[in-house]
Amino acid sequence: MAELLLDANIRGWVFLPIVVITFLVGVLRHYISLLIGGSQKKADIQQVQDSQALLRARLLRENGKYLTRSAFQMRRYYFNDEEVGYFLTQKRTAPASNPMTDPSMMTEMLKGNLTNVLPMIVIGGWINWMFSGFVTTKVPFPLTLRFKPMLQRGIELLSLDPAWVSSASWYFLNVFGLRSIYALVLGENNAADQSRQFQDQMSGAAVQMPVDPKAAFKAEWEALEIYQHQSALEGLAAEMIE
Amino acid sequence: MELTKQSSWNKARDILKDWRDNNQRRSVEVIEIWENSLASKIHKLGDDRFVVLEQVSVAALDCNRLDVAASCIHSLIKEFPNSLRVRTLLVMKLEAQQRYEEALEHLETIIKIDETNTAARKRKICILKAKNKIPEAIKELTEYLKKFMTDQETWQELCDLYLSEGDYAKAVFCMEELFLHHPHNHLLHQRYADILYTQGGLENIELAISHYLMAINLNEKNIRALYGLALSCHQVLTSAKCSAAKKKEISKQMMWVSKHLARQYEEQQGNTETLTELMSALQVS
Amino acid sequence: MPKPKSSKPGDHTAYSELAVRNNAAVVEYCRTSMAALSGCTAGILGLTGFYGFGFYVLAVIGLWVLLLMRAGSKWNRYFLNRKSLLTNGFVGGLCTYVLFWTFFYTMVHVY
Repeated sequence: MAELLLDANIRGWVFLPIVVITFLVGVLRHYISLLIGGSQKKADIQQVQDSQALLRARLLRENGKYLTRSAFQMRRYYFNDEEVGYFLTQKRTAPASNPMTDPSMMTEMLKGNLTNVLPMIVIGGWINWMFSGFVTTKVPFPLTLRFKPMLQRGIELLSLDPAWVSSASWYFLNVFGLRSIYALVLGENNAADQSRQFQDQMSGAAVQMPVDPKAAFKAEWEALEIYQHQSALEGLAAEMIE
Repeated sequence: MELTKQSSWNKARDILKDWRDNNQRRSVEVIEIWENSLASKIHKLGDDRFVVLEQVSVAALDCNRLDVAASCIHSLIKEFPNSLRVRTLLVMKLEAQQRYEEALEHLETIIKIDETNTAARKRKICILKAKNKIPEAIKELTEYLKKFMTDQETWQELCDLYLSEGDYAKAVFCMEELFLHHPHNHLLHQRYADILYTQGGLENIELAISHYLMAINLNEKNIRALYGLALSCHQVLTSAKCSAAKKKEISKQMMWVSKHLARQYEEQQGNTETLTELMSALQVS
Repeated sequence: MPKPKSSKPGDHTAYSELAVRNNAAVVEYCRTSMAALSGCTAGILGLTGFYGFGFYVLAVIGLWVLLLMRAGSKWNRYFLNRKSLLTNGFVGGLCTYVLFWTFFYTMVHVY
């Protein structure tokens, strides 16, 4: 392939602006999602109770080995007994499967879309329109012809080496590559949302709700049923004193 | 304290943050820092100032500095008129003034607005406790735990209340619940064993021995657990019901623990005289 | 740098959940920085083709060795296993690496 010579103006007006725009949009998106994603959904007390019961049952399975056999049986009885067990007597209906009927679900979905998918499409479209048809850069490694439609979107040149990248594709390269950089720049959890927390109260109970408590109960019930209690303390004395 | 007086507000902020993160109350010091360096520069803290104000209000209530608490809560109310969290603080102030009826009224409305508000429910129980109505508080706590059954703080509180009532069997249950959450916390194992030992009975003491061992396994410097183990072994050895084989095993443990204790003291002070005295005092029979 | 987990003799090994997560976050931070910096280096040096990818693999292994050196002989006090320390986030890092590599290669050698 013949070496192409790119105009330095392309660098100044296409190549660099795309990097900067992608980066800034990412930062902006982070703050917007902080702004509108802030108000957590109020948890229903029933849901809280269910999720806590599930958590407790899980802990019982994980750490039950430190209990005596009778203490373990007592707790299992509480969850799994046929007549009074929590998982069997508490009847939960599966939530409505259609999110459209639940307005709060709708807004949740909308928020998710608004902060994640929408900017990508809008900015991508805008960049495609604004900077269409430029060959911006060349990846420093050879590629097969299969990559042509992916990397040379907007340029229909059969003879062009696939290593050359068009502006639209450069944008997508940026989107994927910068993802981990955001974590670096913005920090894992910056304290900027401190004040918002105050508004809506630290109800520490808000755990992720299982979508369908009925199924979750059944799974946890099964896991508890087949759990074999084995005390972790039995051999300890001999082991330590040796 | 000299140090905190000289330090700049920057350092004071860091200290307060450290205490917040580690759940240290240290109310007297908090108030001191607040009055000496932070009160006049509160606006400099940015978004942190609200949490600091909350921390200071609680500390002020602890020290019966109602004036400080009132001003802090007031500035929080100005900022967040509808926040339930601030309202809970207000309730705490009412409690400090022993205006329990008003406090309860507030709490009822908070719970009505947000059913999952654990803080408000806990305050209700605190009021019962403050009025020294322990059986009622226990009843409320069990009701609460039926709803929020993984709340460790509450299990701990319930355990304390049962202990104050002398109901060891139930306190034991609460402790079990606690180390289901943190099986690697040596203090929980040690406390559990303490309760079992207090409860008495050969079976309980044997269980106490294994949990003392667990505590020592997790932290070999836990002197209380070492002593507890020594005492429990001693109890078993003097018990008539114990079989000879068991006694042999236990006496081996006894030897081990006294050696271990001696070593701990050696490391600490370089002499074991006091310890040998103590140990000989233990071995009565 | 990583905080030690409480580790005990015998097969009763206790992990501090918080410390493990903190360690993972710190390592992730190092890995992203490493990917970006090595990408810059490769781009400025003008490495192409397999040399570039080889450089990335080298950088990953280098970071791994450095982390293990930092953790010292007691590496199992800080990390659950050594292998996952090497392989975790390889592809995510590669994305970042390729971006920086391309960027600097273009800036220096194409225009």
